[in-house]
Amino acid sequence: MDLTTILQGLLTGILMAGIYALVAIGLTLIFGVVRIVNFAQGEFVMIGMYATFWLWKAWGIDPYLSLLITMPLLFCFGVLVQRFLFRPILHAPDLAQIFMTVGISVVLMNAALFFFTADFRSVKTAYAEWALRLGGVTVSVTRLFAFLGALLLAGLLTVFLTKTDVGKALRAVAQDREVCMLLGINPERMYLLAVGLGAALAGAAGSLIVPFFYVFPTVGVVFVLVAFVVVILGTLGSIEGALLAALIVGVAESLGILFAGADLGLVVVFAILVATLILRPSGLMGQA
Amino acid sequence: MTASLMLEVDGLVKQFGGVQAVLDLSFHVREGEILGVIGPNGSGKTTTFNLITGVYRPDRGRVRFAGHDITGLPPYEVCARGICRTFQIAKPFRELTVLRNVIMGTLLRHPDPAAAEARGHEILQTVGLEGRARMVAGSLTTIDQRRLEVARALGTGPRLLLLDETMAGLNPTETEEAIRLIASLRNQGLTVVVVEHVMRAIMSLSDRIVVLDQGTKIAEGQPKEISSDPRVIQAYLGVEYRRA
Amino acid sequence: MSPRTYVPAGFLVFLLVLPHLLPNPFYVHIAVMMAVFAVLGGTWNIIGGYGGQLSLGHAAFFGTGAYVSTLLVNAYGISPWITLWLGGLAALLLSVPVGIICFRLQGPYFAIASIGLAEALRLLVLHFRDITNGAQGLTVPFKGNAPWLLQFDSKFPYYYLALVMAVGVVLIVRRMERSRLGHYLVAIGQNQDAAEALGINSSRAKAKALALSAFLTGVAGVFYAQYTYVIHPDSVFGLGLSIQIALVAIVGGVGTVLGPVLGAVIMEFFIQFTQIAFAGQYPGLELMVYGGLLVAVILWRPRGVIPWFARLYEGLVARLPAARGAQA
Repeated sequence: MDLTTILQGLLTGILMAGIYALVAIGLTLIFGVVRIVNFAQGEFVMIGMYATFWLWKAWGIDPYLSLLITMPLLFCFGVLVQRFLFRPILHAPDLAQIFMTVGISVVLMNAALFFFTADFRSVKTAYAEWALRLGGVTVSVTRLFAFLGALLLAGLLTVFLTKTDVGKALRAVAQDREVCMLLGINPERMYLLAVGLGAALAGAAGSLIVPFFYVFPTVGVVFVLVAFVVVILGTLGSIEGALLAALIVGVAESLGILFAGADLGLVVVFAILVATLILRPSGLMGQA
Repeated sequence: MTASLMLEVDGLVKQFGGVQAVLDLSFHVREGEILGVIGPNGSGKTTTFNLITGVYRPDRGRVRFAGHDITGLPPYEVCARGICRTFQIAKPFRELTVLRNVIMGTLLRHPDPAAAEARGHEILQTVGLEGRARMVAGSLTTIDQRRLEVARALGTGPRLLLLDETMAGLNPTETEEAIRLIASLRNQGLTVVVVEHVMRAIMSLSDRIVVLDQGTKIAEGQPKEISSDPRVIQAYLGVEYRRA
Repeated sequence: MSPRTYVPAGFLVFLLVLPHLLPNPFYVHIAVMMAVFAVLGGTWNIIGGYGGQLSLGHAAFFGTGAYVSTLLVNAYGISPWITLWLGGLAALLLSVPVGIICFRLQGPYFAIASIGLAEALRLLVLHFRDITNGAQGLTVPFKGNAPWLLQFDSKFPYYYLALVMAVGVVLIVRRMERSRLGHYLVAIGQNQDAAEALGINSSRAKAKALALSAFLTGVAGVFYAQYTYVIHPDSVFGLGLSIQIALVAIVGGVGTVLGPVLGAVIMEFFIQFTQIAFAGQYPGLELMVYGGLLVAVILWRPRGVIPWFARLYEGLVARLPAARGAQA
């Protein structure tokens, strides 16, 4: 195993981390504001992927361009989910909430299976094979774009949360609902916004990875698992934490694949989860 | 001093973020006595209970129970050793019957559910809830919920009972009943620490009183001494306390 | 004799003669699967319903039982009657660190960790194909009719064995419900802080519940391996299986003794019906509808997470008369 290979692995890991961060940020946003653990987050990614695929298949729309469609589409979807499925159970016991999101996940996954079959789909773009060569290391352009896109969206979200009134209101609701109501902030609207954004980010992640990832009904499972590990490692509810944790998880997975084997990447991620739960369950950003 | 020390709290310190909840708190409880703990809101009374029973770990200081160091032990361990507490805001098992609530306590010393149930009935008799044994806990009146809290705690067979504002919001008749119940518990050999705001009750019940203010002990002594102690009066915002 | 006794008893008698009433072995197979899911749902319930810890990776224990047993049978020729217990034990041991790590934390950690556990095991089994034969799966050496090796040429013995397991699980759950552990689990579910103040070690109680659940699930896994002769990582460690197990208990009645039995019957009927109705043309349909059912039920009864089938049953039983010779 020479240095170049390791650097390659490192780079792949970092690039993938961007996508993981996007999905995880959506998850942590929903949890932070609405306090619901969204097991269906992976399926939001899956929907984004299928939407991107069909847009390409039917009208030849480039995946990156389809972001402009999939993000609003998933935003609306998220809003509907919050309004009709999450809202009634906001104050129900945790178990009920988990059952609900698991139920949604099952429905979506199997709906995809039912409507689109289990066939693996892929999108062929002109630039799919393009790569940059830096020294001995190869950077796939599609992965790079995915990473940059994720970074951009994460950056936009951060600006939104810190500089706009609505964004600040969102963060405020995450901190203390009751006080917010006294301040005239409507928590209901914030919940809709949070879930909409969380879904939109997941959908964006889907669009961004379609150029180099197969699309199939259960693809969401992998993402939700990794996203959960990232969220826990980065502390539930913390966006900065999710970014940092995504980096760690992405690199670890990549190196794991290098050293242990392609099919064991997820096992490495699981090992990180175990380590986190044992050593620092509150996450990187939490109090020990 | 011939009675042994049931509980010794020694130099407890606890901080939450920037807030000093308890600062260098030390006091003791003698076996078989009723110790009253009073102090204005926010003086750290409930936090002290939480530190003793293991809900929080103190930043510094020790808690000794019957000679053994129990600092930092988890709540279930503290209970198994013989200290049981009630909560300021009652936490009944809402969907369960009164009897079943108490059984959850008696199971500690009576692992066989049948024996636990029998003991449960006895305890309910003691606190006067036998008639409501089959009622669902969530539908009880406030005073009955308080009774249930005490009953459950008694079920665990404690040697030391910590009562957190059991009498808040009770009318005079109910308060009298509560005073009689707590006194009878002491007479049966239990040691009791009572945190209260209801002055009349605590003055008549307590053998000794400890006064907390801003997380530390500012006075200690017989009820008569305490009620005329200027520092105590000062702590309650200078309002002169009149004995009821 | 109260209806509470004779209804289940009557049902049991019916179950005993059932295979002889069925027209062909395929229906017996369905009955076997119903029994297996009743077992799985019932054991899931111990930690999920009573323990209040939602496991979305119970396949981890199922698959562990199946693989440990089959590996031992293949490698050392040990009788499956023995590996039945070894598989359960392996699953139990697996559950111990999971419980230790997760139960001292409050939050969705166990649910997430359980998914990860099953997936990690699935991938590990796929990876070490020298030992486990990877995706092609392991087979139990076929010996024809060999009862001492837990192999029969008719489906009937399997059915009765599965029935024994199902009844066994029901009885075990009932016993647990009335034991100190059962009480403690309920208390923890109501209010964990209050429970701990009463001397209840909540982590330990949950760990015990998980260990029991894992053991029984592992045993079921061994049975399944013997029954189907072939096991694959995807079929015994899959997320789909884990979710099916959870659904059986949830729809049938979380935290009730007979709920999972009802849930298993319904689930199998459902799956078979859609298979037959659509001739297997539409994969995903039954789970999609089933998941939709779950969502609908949660919307309708979010608080008492759905023992509604159990309530229907209770309502029915309440209306039935006591049989002759009953005491008051």
